[in-house]
Amino acid sequence: MAKDMEHLYQERLKRYVTAMRNDKPDMIPIRPFVAEFTAKYAGYTCQEVAHDYEKAFAAARKCAVDFDWDAVVSNMVYVWTGLTQAIGLRYYGVPGIDIPADRGFQYIEPPEEKAFMKPDEYDQLIEDPTGFLYNVWLPRVSADVSAMGEPTSFRNNLSFLKGGMAMLTYFNAFGKQNELLRTESGTVSAIAGILKAPFDIIADKLRGYLGLVTDVLERPDKVLAACEALMPHLTHVALSGADPDKNVPIGYWMHRGCVPFFSMEHFKQFYWPTFKPIVEEIWAHGHQVLFYAEGNWDAHLDSFAELPDQAIVYHVDQGDIYKVHKALGEKFCISGGIPNWLLATGTPPEVRDYCKKVIDGVAGDGGYIMDAAAIVQNDAKVENIRAMTEFTREYGVY
Amino acid sequence: MKKQQKTKRPPGVCIPWQEKVKELPQISGDKELVKKVWQDIDALGYVYIWQCLLSF
Repeated sequence: MAKDMEHLYQERLKRYVTAMRNDKPDMIPIRPFVAEFTAKYAGYTCQEVAHDYEKAFAAARKCAVDFDWDAVVSNMVYVWTGLTQAIGLRYYGVPGIDIPADRGFQYIEPPEEKAFMKPDEYDQLIEDPTGFLYNVWLPRVSADVSAMGEPTSFRNNLSFLKGGMAMLTYFNAFGKQNELLRTESGTVSAIAGILKAPFDIIADKLRGYLGLVTDVLERPDKVLAACEALMPHLTHVALSGADPDKNVPIGYWMHRGCVPFFSMEHFKQFYWPTFKPIVEEIWAHGHQVLFYAEGNWDAHLDSFAELPDQAIVYHVDQGDIYKVHKALGEKFCISGGIPNWLLATGTPPEVRDYCKKVIDGVAGDGGYIMDAAAIVQNDAKVENIRAMTEFTREYGVY
Repeated sequence: MKKQQKTKRPPGVCIPWQEKVKELPQISGDKELVKKVWQDIDALGYVYIWQCLLSF
């Protein structure tokens, strides 16, 4: 039995990797990024999978056993709110505490005047990013961490102790989870490591989106220098968590750096020149990057096409998957494109029809991975996820 | 990487070994062992803050 499961794992790994190298496998791999959907399927609330990572792991494994998927993320809910609570992070809406127990966790961006980094603090960030994060940023995002110069406290000390031990415990648990996915269901862990663009992270966690909108106009040199200062750190973090076997890609989560959040001019001035070299560096180390293009990044396909062949896998959310295939299909594998609204409100026959159109349109020569457009939450119907899976297995054989 | 900034705290480091070693008495034993263990554990501090920023 164990031998059969290992055979299945190797078969799926080969299928998944072959498609990601933009080649043609035996059949279309299925790699759904299922988050709160796993809770719904396994009978848990969103609170349970956010606050108790063992339940999140169990839910992911139950789906992996019951659905014929080649690869999944070990825990796509990912944020363990027990950990964020231990650190005292202020920017989460935690299910069951801040929001209803049956809603996925939320990021709460502060108003512009309460941004976690002030507009006159760019030089501190540029001079010493790690020091700035510990000394300035963390005390602002944590309810427990004391600011520099303030008296320390019991809560301050505990935040580091509990936060550090909890983070280590959580990260170490992924090793066992990946092994169980492999031995219980022959399922591949889909990604390893994390990457965000310097420009995106400044908006997400430092200046806020509105703050950065102001900064690109009022202090563009500082914004560019800050992006450049973050580049080596984001590269280092990405490579540190990458798959040592160089099979699965580093996950790159794309947020608000695209048109229309910013202009094309700003994308080309700030975002792309400080991100493209990171991807090139990572590819020089032999790792692919999964561009998880949340929203619609179609305006920037020409820029992405500048990257070396096979360097990335491009995931389509609300973009036009046929346009993406035309622009990038010769160079890169594409994934996704099945709308989440359809999985939530449609019927199985409608899902099958949509999958057929996508497969016919972009998967003919391989280089395609079946997935929903965006991370699948608990609004998706089980029968529609099953329809997406079963249809792809029936129709997606080369 | 062409545009890499030269910071006093490079990637992967919170308190550089060169800074720490100045605080220590003369190391009579295996200096490389002390250096390696310092750097390995120091790197966990780096992981902590950058994962807070990027993942949590």
